[in-house]
Amino acid sequence: MSTRKHTEAATNSCLSEELAYAVDTCARCGFCKVACPTYPFGGGFEVFSPRAKVYFLKEYYEGRVDLTPEWVDRLYRCTTCERCQSICQTAIPLVRLWERVRAEAVDRELGPMPAHKKLRDLAEQWGNPYGEPATTQSQWLLPDHAPLETADILIFGGCTASYRMPSMLQTGVSMLTRLGVPYAYAGGEEHCCASPLLRTGQLSIAGELISRNLRLFAYKGARRIVTPCGGCSKTLKHDYPVFAQKLGIPFDARVMHFSEVYVGLIREGRLKPVKPVNKVVTFHDPCHLGRSQGLFEEPREILAAIPGLRLVEMAHCREESRCCGAGGGVKSNYPQMAAAIARDRVAEAMATGADILVTMCPFCQGSFDQAIKELGGGIDLCGLEALLLDSVAV
Amino acid sequence: MTYQEDLRQALGDAVTFDPQILRAYDHDVGEMPRALMGLIEHRPQVVVAARTVDDVIKALVLAKKYDIPVTPRGQATSGYGGAVPCRGGMVLDLSSLNRVIEVDTEKATVDVEPGVVWQELSRTLAAHGLDNRVYPTSAPSSTVGGWFAMGGVGIGSLRYGSIGDNVLEIDVVGLDGVIQTWSGPDIEPYHQTCGAVGVVTRLRLACRPSEALAFIASNMPDAASAARFMADAETGLTPYSATIQSAEYCRMRAKAEGHAPAVASGFLVMLAVPEAGADEAQAACLASAHGGVLIGREAAAAEWAGRFYPMRIKKVGPSILVGECYMPLGGFAAWWRDLRAALPKDDLGLEAVAVRGGRLAVLVYILDHARSLLYNLRIAKAMIPLRIAARHGGTAYASGMWFSALAKRLFGPEKYKRVKRLKHAVDRRGLLNPGTLNGPGLPFLPFASLSRCILAGTAFLAPLAARVSYKHPTDHLMQGDRP
Repeated sequence: MSTRKHTEAATNSCLSEELAYAVDTCARCGFCKVACPTYPFGGGFEVFSPRAKVYFLKEYYEGRVDLTPEWVDRLYRCTTCERCQSICQTAIPLVRLWERVRAEAVDRELGPMPAHKKLRDLAEQWGNPYGEPATTQSQWLLPDHAPLETADILIFGGCTASYRMPSMLQTGVSMLTRLGVPYAYAGGEEHCCASPLLRTGQLSIAGELISRNLRLFAYKGARRIVTPCGGCSKTLKHDYPVFAQKLGIPFDARVMHFSEVYVGLIREGRLKPVKPVNKVVTFHDPCHLGRSQGLFEEPREILAAIPGLRLVEMAHCREESRCCGAGGGVKSNYPQMAAAIARDRVAEAMATGADILVTMCPFCQGSFDQAIKELGGGIDLCGLEALLLDSVAV
Repeated sequence: MTYQEDLRQALGDAVTFDPQILRAYDHDVGEMPRALMGLIEHRPQVVVAARTVDDVIKALVLAKKYDIPVTPRGQATSGYGGAVPCRGGMVLDLSSLNRVIEVDTEKATVDVEPGVVWQELSRTLAAHGLDNRVYPTSAPSSTVGGWFAMGGVGIGSLRYGSIGDNVLEIDVVGLDGVIQTWSGPDIEPYHQTCGAVGVVTRLRLACRPSEALAFIASNMPDAASAARFMADAETGLTPYSATIQSAEYCRMRAKAEGHAPAVASGFLVMLAVPEAGADEAQAACLASAHGGVLIGREAAAAEWAGRFYPMRIKKVGPSILVGECYMPLGGFAAWWRDLRAALPKDDLGLEAVAVRGGRLAVLVYILDHARSLLYNLRIAKAMIPLRIAARHGGTAYASGMWFSALAKRLFGPEKYKRVKRLKHAVDRRGLLNPGTLNGPGLPFLPFASLSRCILAGTAFLAPLAARVSYKHPTDHLMQGDRP
């Protein structure tokens, strides 16, 4: 039984007026339940669906139930893929809602989950959730890469690309280098963008990291910040302006994912894919790039520009794309569920008959790499920019 | 061995007694007053998430053994209480029983488990050159079994009738755990009865060949012209599906979606016709003959694309009162006139889907706020469309639990008698979805039907409720079409 007092003043006290209203608008239609990638891992019980979570939150904020450890666990079993909110009849900003209640769980010391605490500890100590020393941050740079101290473009490597899956970052920077596009890089000074901490409700440490990065961006004077990572670009685009305003640090740089840069260069005629790549490929829309940033056409425009390449779409693509399973802190705390979601997506890719599964987020790439190994192969995996690099003559 | 131990042993992790999980099963889409919910035992004591037919059999056999009421449930996307327990007991969640068993392209049929979702089924059938004949506007989530059990009509019903008309064969499991296969008229007792005489575990559906559709939409000046245009279009243009929307509904949608309304006044009649035979000039002539005018193709296509999102208007609600009924097309204009007169203070969002045989399944939406004062009084307004419909040849759309007192009128006396006989034969103790057919009794007067009390209570309160209108902050945006 809840010990919370149900008074008018307490009602929805922890939600903004906008989110409280949004919860009230839930039509309970269950579209989100069918679309959710993590719901099937709840044994078929309604309570694991986004619909039930919204219902619970309505009850919770009206003081009829309490936030229990079991509910906190359920609320963390979400990849923040945004599929639920993109299909929602009443357009409830569900992911913002999940993140808000996770932050509340952290405030009440009911969250985050154990693996997320480790991320925080590592980020506090090292500035990145992998616990890597800052001195190794630039190790992905190839010999021909020549970052400047300051330039119009500032490369933001992101932790996963810098420390674990560098190929997308390396290829992107190689492309800029070959084209003679000047770029700066702050290797060793760049901190985690804070995406994993924001998504898991750890706002205090997230604010610290964001503050450091905002000061770095201001110091570097970059007009464009370019990153290969879906999570980083989403966070830099959507969360940084909010924190910048809150912290009183100016932030007027334009944030771009590398795919946006490539498209711009192709349209300008500076990047010319000419060498045929005679492959059939299928493209996975990373959640944080597609649904979060609306980058659906850009990757397809790049693929269409590569001669010989044929794109076959998966049954669930673009707005309906399925998640790779890694986001929202799921891969770190619920690795088995994340791996199963990734395997499902790879199986869908294989069903298209494509030779290669292409994506453009190092996080997704890492998940699929593991899933393909677990499935015993059957499809190759490649970053979109690697295909582009194979085809260009610069 | 206790019943809990027995269930756990038989069903393993498919069964739960966790109070937090049970709470998610004590409601459906309907936003019912808490006082009303307090009159029934709406929270189950156990939930079985069946993943196989064997799970269903085990659950039902044990329910009989321990005298546990069983409420079968799909996605609970209806608001009639048909998937809500009224005596606690067991909720049998069938949404994970969701395999497409077999597609027969030659016979154009598909065999499915009850938890298959309509939109997913459409995707599966597309690979075989087939599509659903009929499907609900909640197709992205609602299940085949749930819609059959409630007895729905929806997209495609103008050509193909109700879901009941398109089910060719079913497997049903009873409390004895025996699977029986029924076809033809023997299916009838299981349609509209929410699992009160058995749990359906397989359905064979008739499919239609995939066909490209074109969309024609016409702005008609009033309800009478909309109905006449619809009647003429049905014979002249042979549409697959058709809907009527009031201008107020279009404005609600437009406000929720942030665009201009499809029509500013009157009614929008929307036709989905086979692309091959689409004759826009003929449609324009028909519309013009009744004082209407066609709206652009793009706007018509956008209306079709938004067919799964009627509840989007909740965004400007945040709650809605929903009245629902069947109306003969001939009585539609008079019904609408009387409804407007009965609810002069409210914006009435109307959406009606055309059904074979000159009928409309009508939904009336009134924006409200469940947390505002007097909501529990205003909810009585939801019954007004049905009460007025009865004067013009209309009937209830479904009975479920809340309107179980209307089951006899809805089913017709023959079917009702047949269902009651079957119920008596297979479920004497009234364990299978006890809220339906007879309906729950009042806690302090178990022989008084709650459903009858609801009908009587709302009839009594409706005139008063009609005088009280929820003042929505964006109310001024909805003005423009009231008489």
